[in-house]
Amino acid sequence: MAGDELRVEGLAKRFGGLRVFHDINFRLPPGEILGVIGPNGAGKTTLINVISGRIQPSSGQVFLGGRNITGQPSHALSRLGVGRSFQQTNTFRSASVRENISRAIRFSRRSGSAVGLDLLLRDFQLTDRMNEQSDKLPYGLQKMLGLAMAYAIGPQVLLLDEPAAGLERGERSRIDGFVAHVREHGGCGVLIVEHDMDLIRRLCPRILVLDAGYVLADGPPAEVLARPDVIKAYLGAGDEDEV
Amino acid sequence: MEQFSQAMIIGVSLGAQYALLALGFTLIFGILGVVNFSHGGFYMLGGYVAYSCVYHLGLPYPLAVLAAVFATGALGYLFELVLLERVIDDHLSTLMLTLGLYLIVSTAVLLIFGPVSPEFPFPVSGAWRAGPIYVPLENLVVLAVCVCAIAGLYALLFSTDLGRGLRALADDRDVAMAQGMRPKLLFPLAFALATGLAGLTGALVTPILSLSPSVGDPVLATSFLTVILGGLGSLGGAALAAFVVGIVEAYTSVYFGGSVGALVLFILVLVILVFRPTGLLGREIRGA
Amino acid sequence: MAEPVEGALPRSSAGFSWAGFPWAEFAACLVFVAAFAIPSFTRSQLIYSIANQALVGVVAALSVWIMLRMNLLTFATPAFMAIGGYSVAILAPMGVTDAFALTAISFVVPALLALPLGALVLRLRGTYFVLVTYVLSEILQLILFMTPDLTGGSNGISGIPAVTFLGTELVSNRAVLKMACAIGLVACLITAGVTRYFRQHFAAIEENEILAESLGLVIWRYKVIGFVVAAGVAGLAGFSLVNMLLTAHPSSFSSGSAVDFIAYTIIGGRASILGPVVGTGLLVWATNLFGTQGQLAQGMYGVLILAVVLAAKGGITGSIATLFRRVRGAN
Repeated sequence: MAGDELRVEGLAKRFGGLRVFHDINFRLPPGEILGVIGPNGAGKTTLINVISGRIQPSSGQVFLGGRNITGQPSHALSRLGVGRSFQQTNTFRSASVRENISRAIRFSRRSGSAVGLDLLLRDFQLTDRMNEQSDKLPYGLQKMLGLAMAYAIGPQVLLLDEPAAGLERGERSRIDGFVAHVREHGGCGVLIVEHDMDLIRRLCPRILVLDAGYVLADGPPAEVLARPDVIKAYLGAGDEDEV
Repeated sequence: MEQFSQAMIIGVSLGAQYALLALGFTLIFGILGVVNFSHGGFYMLGGYVAYSCVYHLGLPYPLAVLAAVFATGALGYLFELVLLERVIDDHLSTLMLTLGLYLIVSTAVLLIFGPVSPEFPFPVSGAWRAGPIYVPLENLVVLAVCVCAIAGLYALLFSTDLGRGLRALADDRDVAMAQGMRPKLLFPLAFALATGLAGLTGALVTPILSLSPSVGDPVLATSFLTVILGGLGSLGGAALAAFVVGIVEAYTSVYFGGSVGALVLFILVLVILVFRPTGLLGREIRGA
Repeated sequence: MAEPVEGALPRSSAGFSWAGFPWAEFAACLVFVAAFAIPSFTRSQLIYSIANQALVGVVAALSVWIMLRMNLLTFATPAFMAIGGYSVAILAPMGVTDAFALTAISFVVPALLALPLGALVLRLRGTYFVLVTYVLSEILQLILFMTPDLTGGSNGISGIPAVTFLGTELVSNRAVLKMACAIGLVACLITAGVTRYFRQHFAAIEENEILAESLGLVIWRYKVIGFVVAAGVAGLAGFSLVNMLLTAHPSSFSSGSAVDFIAYTIIGGRASILGPVVGTGLLVWATNLFGTQGQLAQGMYGVLILAVVLAAKGGITGSIATLFRRVRGAN
């Protein structure tokens, strides 16, 4: 199953007088992994919220597979195949792992690759814990469950909001596994907002740097991260997530 | 024409009272994210404190009003600090706590003062005449005090550090905390400020309208209509909507009699929700 | 399309499991069935009166509970009770006295009226719902007073003919009590049916609305379904109340009573359907026992609500369940 291309044109968001981001443009073809980085408050999460329909954009447009999906509510976008994960752990806390996954499938009314989902759950070692209550799982596994739910809707494009945040160093390799898995079994485009620069370098052939709501740079990590203005805006800010 | 201008003055005077209540309610909702079901209770309590000060302690009325402000403010402060703070992030729990407080306060007042409305006349009587227009002085006094209080609140919110802190918390709690605002200190203050305003309104208005243990219910309903009309969480909207509500009530009661006003306003609010869910001046609020 | 994927989820163990049996719903329905036996044990008018009050209260509390499944607090229960009750009071003198017809009418009329209101308000943030339902029950009182031709205004409607069951008039106190039991059972079955059928949807909305929506759930649609059913159930409570008093009067549906039904539900415990049943039973009994009527009872509810919110999150039933689990864990 191949995904659809996500195209963002002139996207902007203001809250009252406050400009969160302005004139964002990019394309995310199926199978590509795009990293989005930037200092706190650069508008990264809001960007995901706007693309996934949580928040209305102030101007600009979003296309999925050539179809204009701007301003549609998030439940409609989910049913069109826009999958997303959240920064904080986001599962239905008192439901079992199995119920969490089956809710994702039922609510989205979509079907992904059953084999792919099964393998993913095995990879995450969730198969043996299908009947456990999700908030009783270790934190890392809760986050993996969140990713598995976003994957279970059979997405055309996946938006991941800081998938590695709060994970131990050792657990972060699971994100690599997840992305590799999506490549192999889903083939959809993946947008990753992340602070962990090692992870971004490993996974993303291309990155977008946001600063104060503008796209500061767009290109391969090696090239972009060497630019003095990027270093000044982001890396030079002494971001503790880098350590 | 006389009737028309007289209704306008009554409406504006009502609007000023509603504004004080709605501003307090909005402060609490905007800053703490709490729907304060005890707001009508603080209004009622303000009335009873003022009444007790005048008739049991023999204080002059202005001092009684001040006492009402401090008593309701202090109760609000303690309630936020001791109880509400424990569940502040759980929307439904905070709502139920304020509801519980309202039930307790109104029952306590009922036990102490009984269900019958006490005799509590406004100390100023007489009327002001300008040609055909005739306005009771008590309305003018209330209007003057309310306008001063609203002006004072705006001055506090928009030109002091405390006010800037409070507004920052209302705009975006995370950003405000990152900038060093301390909700633990500011939340009880904001709650006390709002309940003090409700107490002030009660102390001023109940001598003119009526005072009874159940007087808080309609006041709460009016506050709700006002804040939805103005846009939930918007201070300017709440003030504007309060005058709209006051004026609509005054005119409907002059031209159509008693209770039609509330119905008209309810329908108006539903229509507003269809066409402009954010209210008159409301804007999109950031975050969840 | 979704089935094959769900089918592909690894199964834990095959076969039937008692864990999935709706015990709480079953027990709640049993309470209503058991209540039918009250007239066989006693002729005490006091007990009949308390049982009748409790049966009306439980049905109203079930209406509150349906919305609490989705974290929504409704104050509109008295309003929809009035709509159900007045529908019966207006139609019965016209010759519609059949128990089945009146039960259906008292459910359907408020449910239909709730539909447009819910569709409007439930698309907005939950806070709007709370505020609008509060105002609605205040407004309904005004409407009752303003429509004397239809509702009798401040006098209400009295002298309502008795309900007939298969041609027999239900006039005696025992018959009225049994009718209240039957209405209660119907309300309980409807509530249990809806909350079980939409269990996954309601639970998802209760726990994490944002996540549910991001997965494709059309939140407001399920909230409206819940609201419509809750309004219908409240209408049944109104029918039961009117049948008990044989009059429909504005004071029976005062906006203040909304707080009582909320108190029954929260104090009883909101986690299972047994909460409103147990809560209403105990609080109505306690209110009568201590002779604390009206406003004084509300003070007690206020204290208990504070206690539940601050100390015993699960209310009465939730605390008992926790205790039970702890004792079992210790053994």
